[in-house]
Amino acid sequence: MAHPDDPEDLDPGLARERTRLAWLRTAISFAAVGLAVLKINVPAGVAVLALVPLIWQSGRTSGHDGAARARPRRLLLAAAAVTAVALVALVIVLAHGSSPGFHPPTQARP
Amino acid sequence: MTGVAGAQDDGTGPSGDEAGPDAGADDAGTEPDARFTFANERTFLAWSRTALALVVAGLGIVQLLPPFPGVSWGRHLIGVPLIVLGALVAVTGYAEWVRNQRALRQGLPLPRSVLPVLLTGTITAIGLLSGVVLLLSAIR
Repeated sequence: MAHPDDPEDLDPGLARERTRLAWLRTAISFAAVGLAVLKINVPAGVAVLALVPLIWQSGRTSGHDGAARARPRRLLLAAAAVTAVALVALVIVLAHGSSPGFHPPTQARP
Repeated sequence: MTGVAGAQDDGTGPSGDEAGPDAGADDAGTEPDARFTFANERTFLAWSRTALALVVAGLGIVQLLPPFPGVSWGRHLIGVPLIVLGALVAVTGYAEWVRNQRALRQGLPLPRSVLPVLLTGTITAIGLLSGVVLLLSAIR
């Protein structure tokens, strides 16, 4: 009461802040996967990386209006994005055939 | 969204563009505590990240690992199930979010999640599979 700007009053349990950070972690995960895909197939990697700002934005606008209510559209978008990434990975893995694999650089002979 | 819907709305009406047809949010019941809604959302996001980690693990195994000598399909045998599991976890995570949100609105106990069993079972199977591939590769 004495502190109307107490964060506990504005955001009980800091739930909103934690949720925003969870979206940010998810966006970073998308970036990591996107970079990995980029090394294998550039267009697919760019497509995955294009999802990063989308996911990030979903978190940033988390509950700017007073009421916090379920946001099915955004979550459906996120779930569809993850599934799409999995399908892209599946196509890459099945289509690129046998890769030689990663070989660490061998020691230069004197 | 503007504040028009948020100010006096008791949560029973449709919430503008965010309300989907099969949303789990449009059911009968009352708007749960915001902390519960947020917690449910974070759980979904955590499963999504788990799914992404599985996908990138599968991708890495197939593309970065050198082939197993004598077992040319070994990498695909280990990597493809991981990627498929990733897709499965993403879809199931969303379905469980819908179920949980519905239970929260109706004040019912939260339904049990199938994801731990799904994840444990599949990862155990993939682990055993990896062992078999390694053994086959060693025998040859």
